Amino acid sequence: MTSSRITQRTIADTALRGLQGNLSRMQTMQQQLSSGRRVSQPSDDPSATVSSMTLRSRRQADEQYLRNMDTASGRLTVTDNALTSLSDRLREFRNLIVTSRNGALGQESQVGIAANMNAIRDEVLDLYNTTYLDRPIFGGTIQGVTAVDAGGSYQGDDQPIQVRISTDALVRIDVTGHDAGADTVPTALTAIAQNVTTSGATDADLDLLDSAISTVAQALGDVGARSARVSQTHDLVDSHRLDLTSRISVNEDVDMPEAMMNLSAQQVGYQAALQSAAKIQQTSLVDFLK
Amino acid sequence: MSIFGSLNTANRGLSAAQRALDATSQNIVNANTPGYSRQRVLLTSVGQPVTATFHTGNGVVYGGVDVADVSRIRDAFLEATRAAAGGRQSYLESQTDILTSAQQLLSEPGETGLQSTMDSFYASWHDLASNPPDTAAAAVVIQRGLAVTQQVRTVSNGIAAQWTTARDTLADVVNRANQATSDLAKLNEAVTAGQMAGKPVNELLDTRDTLVRSLADLVGATSSLDAEGRLSVSVNGVSILTGNHADPITLIGANDISTSAADPPGLKVGTFLVPVEAGHAAGLLGTLRTDLPSLSDQVDAVATRLRDAVNGVYGQGYASDGSTGNAFFSGTNAKDLAVVPVAGSALAIAAASGKVDGTVAGMVGDLADDQRSATALGGVDGASATWRKLTSSLGVQVQSLKTAQSVQDAVVAAADGAVQSDAGVNLDEEMTNMMLFQRAYQASARAITTADEIMDTLINRTGKVGL
Repeated sequence: MTSSRITQRTIADTALRGLQGNLSRMQTMQQQLSSGRRVSQPSDDPSATVSSMTLRSRRQADEQYLRNMDTASGRLTVTDNALTSLSDRLREFRNLIVTSRNGALGQESQVGIAANMNAIRDEVLDLYNTTYLDRPIFGGTIQGVTAVDAGGSYQGDDQPIQVRISTDALVRIDVTGHDAGADTVPTALTAIAQNVTTSGATDADLDLLDSAISTVAQALGDVGARSARVSQTHDLVDSHRLDLTSRISVNEDVDMPEAMMNLSAQQVGYQAALQSAAKIQQTSLVDFLK
Repeated sequence: MSIFGSLNTANRGLSAAQRALDATSQNIVNANTPGYSRQRVLLTSVGQPVTATFHTGNGVVYGGVDVADVSRIRDAFLEATRAAAGGRQSYLESQTDILTSAQQLLSEPGETGLQSTMDSFYASWHDLASNPPDTAAAAVVIQRGLAVTQQVRTVSNGIAAQWTTARDTLADVVNRANQATSDLAKLNEAVTAGQMAGKPVNELLDTRDTLVRSLADLVGATSSLDAEGRLSVSVNGVSILTGNHADPITLIGANDISTSAADPPGLKVGTFLVPVEAGHAAGLLGTLRTDLPSLSDQVDAVATRLRDAVNGVYGQGYASDGSTGNAFFSGTNAKDLAVVPVAGSALAIAAASGKVDGTVAGMVGDLADDQRSATALGGVDGASATWRKLTSSLGVQVQSLKTAQSVQDAVVAAADGAVQSDAGVNLDEEMTNMMLFQRAYQASARAITTADEIMDTLINRTGKVGL
């Protein structure tokens, strides 16, 4: 102000402006308290807004990775079970070979053993055709649902299937037919069962079975390792997600105790302004003239 | 010096005191009238004629008191400062209002903004990737894609609507300014006529100042007075009022944001373009010419970058019918961005023909990551990054406008205070003046009584000594 001449109007204006300022600050606080958010528009805090957007985006990605991992571990568990059963069946088959090579057995017994073997082979075929959510787990990316057909020939394409489990990591959720022995084992079993009824099983047949068993064991080990990796990553991503959630909250949410304190301080100020405005505007020279 | 002279002098005192009381009452009743300037009665003492006259000899003759003028107290410089401050305040106010509403269209930060919608869209691709033939997951991908296009369109349409509102407001501002200018032209005439007739024009001058102030608020006009006391008004050098001749301002340019780049809105007086720099008009023009179109362009960039990144990756995929090089998004801007595949089964997500595979879906989902998105676009910011930049730059702009606005509010308050301090009515002062002039009136009346008593003595008592 350029001069110190004060009028009633000046006082009223100043009082009104002060009250307005007080009220507008109270409104801001009330808004923050009732919404629980410190940043409700970009202009409240542009940099916090952008970090919030980035953090939310990452949290959404983490949630997706967690869902991907659920799918991955589901499929890996099914694969693990199939491979374990396969391993059991192949051991039974090997025992049958050993039994059939006992010289004391007659032709009829051999035929019985061969029938047993064929039954196991069918079971093995079924296991190789195990599906997860209508997809053959050993078939790669083929269109049908059969990885190995009834004749024992492999239909799959050995294509790997990968799922993203973190920003930088993909994990394979399949075992290729080749790695599980789907392309060799069924035909070998058929041939051995054939041998038993004709010339009898040989050492080579036993070796074949041993290598089949070790192939499956290897695949099992691989699946186990991948499952372990998935569950490990799951924990990591989950804790990262929780961390992000708390950072978003720190970024956006109102510090309630502090906001309440500020609000009551503001209320005191508002009341003081109201009272002083009421007092100062009551008096004028008119009151003292008779 | 005659006794009648005393009566005359006292009489003039009475009428002067009355005029002064009159002015005081006018001040008191208008204490709260907006734009009112306090008035003061200028009293001058009237002395004897300078040349001594032969007839009256050397006796002293008093002429009493005279009301020289009823002056209006208002400092032109303070008033001009207040008007200019108001113009800048209106400029900031208009701009802040529009950009604040534009900012609300973004609904960021939160779960309902475009950022979240795009993130969910990318996530749905991952769901599809981990279970390729799942038609439900594929349908979700398409629905989320539609949600993105819809939201981008909503923001873009919102900005366009905001633009139209701003233009309508500007048209209204121009109308009000033209009305004020023509009112001022009439006032100029009335003031001149009044001044020539010697009638008081103080109240007209108050109205004139109020109109000038509103013109400053509307179009950032400034005024000047010529030698005859006539007011001229101009906007940044372009005259809109001289004497009683007003030049109307016209609003030119596009009616729609889509044509605003080719034909930007502007203000004209006759054939001259008016370079407004203050007032509501300047704020509105700024948002119409620069802020809103640029915002709209950025939203378009979000749409096209989303389209390019997704299509670039998606094009590598093979559909179940063996086709490849397909597009997921079509369109050229935020308004016509659309999803091409209709059925989930038509999605081209296999890495090779004739396979049930979700590799490409996974790659599209991976675009949620800023770096992968930038790589897909050959190094340019992806859709999410562009959207975040848009949000942050608009946020910063609104924030700094709000700061500037609160600073300007203080400037206006100070300028108001200065004007008020000079021209405002102080009731205590008026009460004091009232007492002063009442006493003056009483004293003058007393002087008349005294003169009367003297004459009574002279006329009725002369020659009655001892009776």
